[in-house]
Order: sequence, then C-alpha cells, then structure tokens
Amino acid sequence: MAIVGVGQSPTGRVPGRSPLDLTAEATLNALADANMDKSEIDGVLTGNAFASSFHRFSVALSEYLNIQPSYSNTLQVSGATAGAAVNTAAAAIHAGLADTVLVACGDSLLTGMTPDMAIRAMTESRDQQYEMPFGIPVANTFAMTAHRHMKEYGTTSEQMAQVAVTFREHASRTPGAQKTELITVDDVINSKMVTSPYHKLDCSLISDGAAALILTSAERALDYTDTPIYILGGGEYYSHEHIFLMPELTQTGAVQSAQKAYDMAGISANDIDVAGIYDCFTGTVLMMLEDLGFCKKGESGAFVEDGQITYGGKIPTNTHGGMLSYAHPGIPAAWFHFAEVVRQLRGSCGERQVKNAELGIVHTLGAGFSTQATTILGTGSTR
Amino acid sequence: MSGAVKNTLAKPLPTPDGDSQALWDGFKNGELLLQHCDDCGHVQYYQQGMCRLCQSTKLRHKAASGKGTIYSYSVVYRAPGPAFKDDVPYAVLLVQLEEGPRMISSLVGKNFNGLDFDVAVKLTTAAISDEISLPYFELID
Repeated sequence: MAIVGVGQSPTGRVPGRSPLDLTAEATLNALADANMDKSEIDGVLTGNAFASSFHRFSVALSEYLNIQPSYSNTLQVSGATAGAAVNTAAAAIHAGLADTVLVACGDSLLTGMTPDMAIRAMTESRDQQYEMPFGIPVANTFAMTAHRHMKEYGTTSEQMAQVAVTFREHASRTPGAQKTELITVDDVINSKMVTSPYHKLDCSLISDGAAALILTSAERALDYTDTPIYILGGGEYYSHEHIFLMPELTQTGAVQSAQKAYDMAGISANDIDVAGIYDCFTGTVLMMLEDLGFCKKGESGAFVEDGQITYGGKIPTNTHGGMLSYAHPGIPAAWFHFAEVVRQLRGSCGERQVKNAELGIVHTLGAGFSTQATTILGTGSTR
Repeated sequence: MSGAVKNTLAKPLPTPDGDSQALWDGFKNGELLLQHCDDCGHVQYYQQGMCRLCQSTKLRHKAASGKGTIYSYSVVYRAPGPAFKDDVPYAVLLVQLEEGPRMISSLVGKNFNGLDFDVAVKLTTAAISDEISLPYFELID
C-alpha cells in the first residue's frame, strides 16, 4: 500500500468555512496531487468533526463531493484516529474491500465554535460518572502523566518547554503555520498555567483546517505518482479507557503499538530518519520519544535539550511545527503529521527538508494515552 | 438562585446506571463501596457486573477505609467549560486507595500547601443534588 496524494485546506484561522467544506477542499488538493479523478475513490475513511452535526462524517463528505464509495467509515479513537484510519485504509485495500481510499478529516475548532465549546467538546470525551464531575479536562489527564514523569525521572518544566521551543522553530520555516514567532524556554515557563505542570505554551493550539491522504495498492501507485510513499508497517494498542485504570502513568501503550509496527516493517527505531509525533502537550512528546524507542525511559528531557529532535539530531520530529505551532483543529491535527512525513520522504520540503529521509514514523495517540496508533512509512528504496 | 448555584447545576452530574447504582448510593451514605471478587480477590473501583480480571460475577461491595495517597495531581487554572469557571483553581487528584484501586477525585478547598506526590489523603463526600453525592479528598495533617 502507498500514499499517492496529500492535500490540505488553509489552516489556522479560517472563518466562514464548514468542516465539510474544508475537508472537501483538502480532498480536491490531494486528488490533484495524485493526478487522480474523484471517480477513482471507492473507499472513504474520516474522523468526526466537533463543529459539525454529522454522525457519519465520511458519508456526509462523500455526498458533499458527489462520490459513492463502496467502503466507508467514520472512526473514533480520539487523537489516534489519524493513524488508525491510515492503518485501516491499508488493511481495507489489502483485503480487497476497496482499491483507492480517501483518508480525510477537517474541523473548525477555532472559528466554528467558541473556545469554551471547543474545550467542552474535548472535556466530554471523559467518563461522565467517574471523571467529568471533578472538572477533569482531557488536558488534565495528560498533565497528570507528565507530572508523574517529573516525579519519577526528574524531568523538568524547562525540558518540556524545549519541545515547544523546537517545534516553534520548525514552524517558522513552514508556509501556513499558525504560530511562527520564535519563543524561548522562559516564554513557555512564564506563560499562564493551564493545568499544572502545563503552561499555555506547553499546550497545543486551537485551529481550523483539514487534510486528506489518498491510499492505493503498491501496484497501482505508480500509475499516479513517481514518488509513492509506502506503508511498511502499522500497529495499534488500546490499554485502558479511564485514566485511573492506566497501568503505569509514565509508560504507555505506544511501546506495544510501535513494536508491532516495527516488526511488520522489519525495522527498529534506530533506522528511522524523520518522525511525526502527536504533540497535544510538550510532555506527551517526551514520553513518546521514550516509548517509541528513540531514547531510554526517563532520558527524554536531556535528549530534547541535546537537540536530538531537530535537524542534525537523532530524530528530527514534527518538522512542520506540530499541533503546538502548526495547527490543531482537533481530530484532523495528526493528518498534518502524515502530510509532513510524506513530504519529507518525497524530498519536497525545501528549506525544512531532512537530508536523505527514507524511513519515517507517524505516531498518533489520544484520550489520556488510551489510544495509540503507529504507522511506518518509507520511500521506494526501503521496500 | 445565585449564579454560582446555577453553575453548579450546569455541571455534568453522573447518571447512575445498572452497574454503578450501588456506588452512588454508597456515596450518599458517606461510603466508598469497592467491589471485591470472591473468586480471585481482585478489588475494583470502576463498577462492573463482573470482575475485570477473572469475569466472575461473585462480587461483593465493601466500604473502603477512605485512606489513600496522591499518585498524581494537576491543578486546573483554565476551566474546562463555563460550569467550572467559578471553581478554578482546583486540584484534580489521582488517588491511590489503600485497597489497591486508583480513582479520580478533587481536593477539598484551595489550600494547595502540602499538596504533593504520595502524601496521605482521606475521603469525604458532599451532596451535590438530592440524588448525587460526590467523593472528594482532603489532606491529612
């Protein structure tokens, strides 16, 4: 299986556009990128949009584009939906359920809803009996894991802040990024506390935007592009629903999710050239660097301070700026991680290109580390 | 009715279901009822019709001691929606209960002196409506 088309809508503050409209535009751009007519699409997978009333977003999107797929679903595993959708699309093609699958998502969290509605939407993903009565936003579940990581491993607020500083520097080179003004560790630490230990600049943005990917079989891929990006492995893991039933707060199901993907691809973390890691919060990235195998447990803070997640480091990560600086329209956010890693592997990133990038990883997660999905991507030379 | 009371009413209140009715009845009596499995000995806070470990249905409710320690916590300064705006800042706690399970709750009051990992806390309950009392924890001096 291969990704043959990538497209986006405008991102950041995009008023007056519905989630369906944004997603349809991203789809048309992905079709153009793949030199493909919409009639070729016979499968559609999406996430849902908070600023849309549709329960079957994938079906509504098909109607909006006037396509009639023979395979369709709207997935919901929170932040891991992007990875799960790509993995599921690849499996559907492998199984013969569809030949060419559109994997798309869009939302307008910034201008389609009030900030309170946006946060409330996130909040309502927590358990109505056991969590929500105590005013626990989903941010709080991630905060408690990071807080425990600080306690167990001596990770500091400064080390977490360095993640935000690095991704902002990356975003400064990315056309269309929502936040491009460079920041310092002090800026992060002096920004308002949201839910300790997370300050405002430790938290992802709120944005509008959509992105779309088009997948087809490896055999068909060369009909559309000279540079298909192959899906070499996928893994997922769902360890718990409630934060109080998470087995360990500082080690997540990303370990198992990634291992399954590495095994399928026949590689290890050391082989990977570029990463897209779901960055809802700074500390989330630190824990993922450990659980995905890029550094040892407890050493991610120093790893990031050493410059290992940027150019010249061990694993350049979120070279578009991530959810912390590029855009975070909710569930669609991790589609941009896929779009960026695909472009890096195509070698089309211009001044933000990671040299000789041939193997990439995208890791998406959600709901207080409940949901994990990993995808390994590679150029033709890695097959 | 004051604005504060209206906001309290707007908060997401639990709706007990077949699995959880006993737990919420317990909180009304000031008790935290944990489920103990007669077959494997597992103790669970999240109420189920069967033991989460061995799927036995031989579960018995026993009142917890109410003692625990803070496994992790986060003080919320940015309210998750209008219903909690009057409450910030407040400390959400992940409490390690003496009997084994963990649970989400929040700290009584806004005095965060002494709030730390592994410090001892004890259960208290407060009526939020005629039907619902919520479990909270306070620091033990």
